[in-house]
Amino acid sequence: MTIPNGAAILNHMVEGNPQRLDAIFHALSDPTRRAMLRDLSGQQRSVGELAAPFDISLAAASKHIKVLERAGLVQREVQGRLHVCRLDARPLHAGVEWMRHYERFWNERLDALDALLKAEDRVAAAASPANARPANKPSRSK
Amino acid sequence: MSPVIVRVSRRFDAAPERVFDAWLDPATAGRWLFATADGQMQRVQIEARLGGRYAIVERRPNGDAEHFGRYLEIDRPHRLVFTLAMEEDADQGDRITVEIVPDGDGSLLTLTHEMAAEHAEYAKPAESGWTMVLAALDRHLA
Repeated sequence: MTIPNGAAILNHMVEGNPQRLDAIFHALSDPTRRAMLRDLSGQQRSVGELAAPFDISLAAASKHIKVLERAGLVQREVQGRLHVCRLDARPLHAGVEWMRHYERFWNERLDALDALLKAEDRVAAAASPANARPANKPSRSK
Repeated sequence: MSPVIVRVSRRFDAAPERVFDAWLDPATAGRWLFATADGQMQRVQIEARLGGRYAIVERRPNGDAEHFGRYLEIDRPHRLVFTLAMEEDADQGDRITVEIVPDGDGSLLTLTHEMAAEHAEYAKPAESGWTMVLAALDRHLA
C-alpha cells in the first residue's frame, strides 16, 4: 500500500468530501469544543449543561455547538424547551482510521528493519567460528 | 510544530549505531524503509547531511510510490528528524522524528509522525491536540 500524505488518506476516507474534513479539523481545533465532545462522549447534554463548565455565555456555547454540528459531530434535538445535544462520533472514525493506517505502516517498516538487522547478524555469526569471540576488534579497513 | 499523529516504539537486538545507520545508508534504507514485498526499488538517493535531501521511489503494482524529504536533524545515533512528502522539492510535508536510546545490549526506537503543515494551523500545539479526543472517543466506542 502506498503512503499518500495524511490529507489525501483522510480525504479519501471521508468519501471524497474535503469540506467535511476541514469542518472536522476546525471543530477539533478549539479546546472548549474538544472538552464539549469529551463531555458528550459519556451522555447527552443540554446546551446549558454543555456550557456550564466554561466561563462563556449561552450564546457563545451555542456558537461552539453549531461548529460541532456543521462537522457532523453533534446532533441537536429540541425536547420541549430544552435543546439536547448528543455526540455522533462517526466522522471521527476517518481520523482514527488515518492514524491506524500510519501506525500499521510504520510497524510494518520497523518489522522489515528488524528482519534485515537479524539477517545481517546471522550472516555475521555464520562467518565467524562458533562460540569464538575475536580477541581483538576487527580492523575497520575496508 | 504540529500535533502528534502517531507514535510507534520498537526494541531492536542491535546497537543504536546500527539501527540509526539503517535510515541513512542508501544500500540499507532501500531494502526496508519504503520497500514493500511486491514492489521494486527504482531509486534511492540519500544526502545524509543536515539540510540534505532524500528520494526513495518504488515501483509497485498500482504505480510508483515516491517519497521525498529533507533532513532537519541528524544526531547519530540518537535522533533523526526528516520531512516526508509525495512531491519532489516539497519542503512541506509530514515530519518524522526517530529517537533511539540504548536498551541493554540492544536499542529502543521511538518514531513520531506529525501531520503535514497544511493541517497544523488547525491545531494548537499547547493542547494535546485532537488525537487525544480521537483516541478517547475511540476507546469509548470500542
